[in-house]
Amino acid sequence: MSDARALAPGDVDSRVDLGGIALRNPVLTASGTFGYGREFEPFLDLRRIGGFVAKSLTLEPRHGNPPPRIAEAPSAMLNAISLENVGVDAFVRDKLPALPEDVTVVASLFETEIERYAEAAKRLGGVPRVAGLELNASCPHVKSGGIEFGQDPRLLAQLVREVRRATSAPLLVKLSPNVTHIAEMARVCEGEGADGLSLINAVQALEVDVERRRPVLANVLGGLSGPAIRPIALRMVWQASRAVGIPICGIGGIGCAEDAVKFLLCGATAVQVGTANYLDPGVAGRVAEGISAYAARHGFARVRDLVGRLETDRG
Amino acid sequence: MAEAVPLRIDAEVVAAEPAGGENHRLRLAVPGWPGFSPGQFVMLSPGARAAVERSDPLLPRPMAIYRARGGERPEIEILFKRHGRGTALLAQARPGERVGLFGPLGRGFALAAPGERAVLVAGGTGIASVFELASRLRAAGTPVRVLLGARSRGDLMGEDDFARASLPLVVATEDGSRGERGLVTDLLERELARGGPSRVYACGPTPMMRRAAEIARAQRVPCAVSLENPMACGFGVCLGCAAPLAAGGFALVCRDGPVFDAERIAWAGLP
Repeated sequence: MSDARALAPGDVDSRVDLGGIALRNPVLTASGTFGYGREFEPFLDLRRIGGFVAKSLTLEPRHGNPPPRIAEAPSAMLNAISLENVGVDAFVRDKLPALPEDVTVVASLFETEIERYAEAAKRLGGVPRVAGLELNASCPHVKSGGIEFGQDPRLLAQLVREVRRATSAPLLVKLSPNVTHIAEMARVCEGEGADGLSLINAVQALEVDVERRRPVLANVLGGLSGPAIRPIALRMVWQASRAVGIPICGIGGIGCAEDAVKFLLCGATAVQVGTANYLDPGVAGRVAEGISAYAARHGFARVRDLVGRLETDRG
Repeated sequence: MAEAVPLRIDAEVVAAEPAGGENHRLRLAVPGWPGFSPGQFVMLSPGARAAVERSDPLLPRPMAIYRARGGERPEIEILFKRHGRGTALLAQARPGERVGLFGPLGRGFALAAPGERAVLVAGGTGIASVFELASRLRAAGTPVRVLLGARSRGDLMGEDDFARASLPLVVATEDGSRGERGLVTDLLERELARGGPSRVYACGPTPMMRRAAEIARAQRVPCAVSLENPMACGFGVCLGCAAPLAAGGFALVCRDGPVFDAERIAWAGLP
């Protein structure tokens, strides 16, 4: 089977279907780490990657948190940007048309109330240049006293149901890792008609300035990202992929092709490169090419044949 | 200066030497260097650019470009203080080794108009942002005075370079171990009260820049500051380096700065 005979990387079919989003290869870049795409054009031909997930959008433009907004931790960083963005309309009017036609764009959206999520989904889902939507559910629900949508299965079900009703565009739900049972959250989304799942979002974290006896971040809490969270993400992708039939986009500390292949083996159909884009804006292109090279080396004619091929001795 | 696409290379360390106390100096070979405006910076990663595989520390460090040498084998010089893990590793880099480099980045200082007199005020490592500025101002015919402050003499950087370049430098230390005892902003206040300087340039710790801005405002002299917020990317996408603006909202230090008109900044909102 695998390893039977090596192929040339050019002979490998790298295309994947992520819940109705056709990708030329399985590498996307994660929302919030890739701006609106153009920022990366001096460093990366966007056609070398499967596509990108744009910075999360709200109906209205939004300012972020006061500084300090970022901190460093071992093999990781914390951020509390708070989803600063230009708003849905400016994105559609100014950001999308600036991109080359053959770049696949997934729009990420978030809001603080279900009706507003649905409205944003309706507007974005009807835009031809938007290949699909990613619902960022790691956001506090104002009406429920600030509980994250993604942390309460009933709230999550209600959210996905209403957004599903608002749009027929391919719909990914980005799951929070800050839950006890990721498989349950995955099943809820599948049951309400999501076309795919993206996981994991950043891990809620706190870093302390011991000299000042204060949190490093002005917001106190932030989201941990980077290589430190990769094994947690792999575990959650593996668990979610065994719980649902819809495709999964794996996210968490990917910095090279081998990292990405780990996610494919654990059941992800595609991946997103996140924090590594900050350190090297060309890295996602190399990850994409490296996955095909891995597939070729191990005799897989199609990258999608790697999905879920983790071999374990237990069921 | 037109915005050139920044270089992204593993730069060879040409020289690495201690520069007094916890201070270090790195000279890096930068083939293809596009030139820079004083006040621009580079992102440096200890070890080669494979920062992604060498994941701890994860983030590159923004560093002012101290000065540059053109010609066939262009070099830049970085002057920095050992502060944490990242700078400690950079301080260990030996000639022949490589460090990840991305830059030049950001918007630098605007030079003074003909007929102006400039005073440059720097605190601690802030001196690294103003050496090239002082040189270019003087080359453009603008009379320059540089005021340098530090906690103690061991924290001073670059003093000899200013002397060698015959750039007038006045030093103040908080403990009086070198130059005048006191704050560098006291020197600035005196300098401006005497009249003469028509423009202030400041780089250093936030309280120092904030005070410099107040003094300049009181004398109705424009003041440019160079901010040093932490950042992950250096090119406007992580949004980590946001600085609050007096008019509301935020500017990005990496993309809109690091140099700002001091009046634009909401100082109370800066950590």
